[in-house]
Amino acid sequence: MKSKLLLALLTVAVAGSAAAQMKPEDAIKWRQSAYGAMGWSMNRIKTNVEGTYNKEEVVKAANVIQAIANSGMGALYLPGTDKGTGWEATRAKPEIWTEKEKLGKAAGAFNKEANEMAKVAAGGDAAAVKAQFGKLSETCKGCHDDFKAKK
Amino acid sequence: MNGKRIRVWDLPTRLFHWLLVVAVVAAVVTGQLGGNLMDWHGRIGVGIVGLLAFRIVWGVVGSTYARFRQFLPTPARIKAYLRGEWQGEGHNPLGALSVFGLLGLLTAQVLTGLVANDDITFTGPLFDLVSKGTSNRLTGIHHLLSNAVIALAALHVAAIAFYARVRKQDLVRPMVTGWKEAASGESATRGGFVALVVALVLAGAAIYGASGAWLPAPPPPPPTAETPDW
Repeated sequence: MKSKLLLALLTVAVAGSAAAQMKPEDAIKWRQSAYGAMGWSMNRIKTNVEGTYNKEEVVKAANVIQAIANSGMGALYLPGTDKGTGWEATRAKPEIWTEKEKLGKAAGAFNKEANEMAKVAAGGDAAAVKAQFGKLSETCKGCHDDFKAKK
Repeated sequence: MNGKRIRVWDLPTRLFHWLLVVAVVAAVVTGQLGGNLMDWHGRIGVGIVGLLAFRIVWGVVGSTYARFRQFLPTPARIKAYLRGEWQGEGHNPLGALSVFGLLGLLTAQVLTGLVANDDITFTGPLFDLVSKGTSNRLTGIHHLLSNAVIALAALHVAAIAFYARVRKQDLVRPMVTGWKEAASGESATRGGFVALVVALVLAGAAIYGASGAWLPAPPPPPPTAETPDW
């Protein structure tokens, strides 16, 4: 009993300190890096859909997006990081922290379409990939419209 | 009723008007929906550049009532109109404000749109001419102005409804047929074939400029470069 409590306390302490140790500047950098990797991948899919289609490339790109979508990036949105600079000044809007339900829906839609994108990419049908790419883009826009400042 | 008819809107002006209606509606819809429609959003925007360029040239060399000088909304004219003393055909001074407002707003909208980006995969055809930071700022303006375009277009339609119901004046029909029942006033003249060719050529040049087709192509990848397997 005692040891369980101690373990629980210890876990909380370790987890807490891990979060506390993440510097806001790093969190913003990692966010931006993740979006950069997804930007690369989205452009890669688009290039393939518009030019000569290479299934393997599209699978790689779709897997990157899927992996990032499922990585729990929400953890990088530390309170107060609507301001600050990572690689550049963050464009995260304060609404991210105030309209959680709306954001959750938008993020959930992205997650779903990212998973579907990976599935469709594995199928290798270029027309289906193009259609799913469009759907996925719409869910990117879903967040950008309301939660990303234009500057 | 059986008064005389005058020709107010020449065919190019009418075609411009209705093509612009279709294009702006399509641009708003594709912009809001995003996704794969963004490719069309860009193409429609380039088309609107052509329409606007045509109208601006036509405002100088077109027929009587299409000319900007004919309907410059000077304060004196607006005052006279509000007092009910304005006499004339074509755009009335308040309507003229709306015309210049819409043309100006849409011009700003296409200019910002040409260098805009959506932080996904869409970039305007002239995006390469500016830095990413500049593009971001102009994209922000593009988004703000889209609301103004929608608002002004709604006002435009509301004004037409007002004239139809309250003033018993049908503004739509003349924009379709070109003819208007009028007790006084002269039919439009000038804006002949040569003027039309000039306007079309300049509109074509504007489309070419906006399309970015003249931008240097990205250098091809070195031919011997092999993609590494990592």
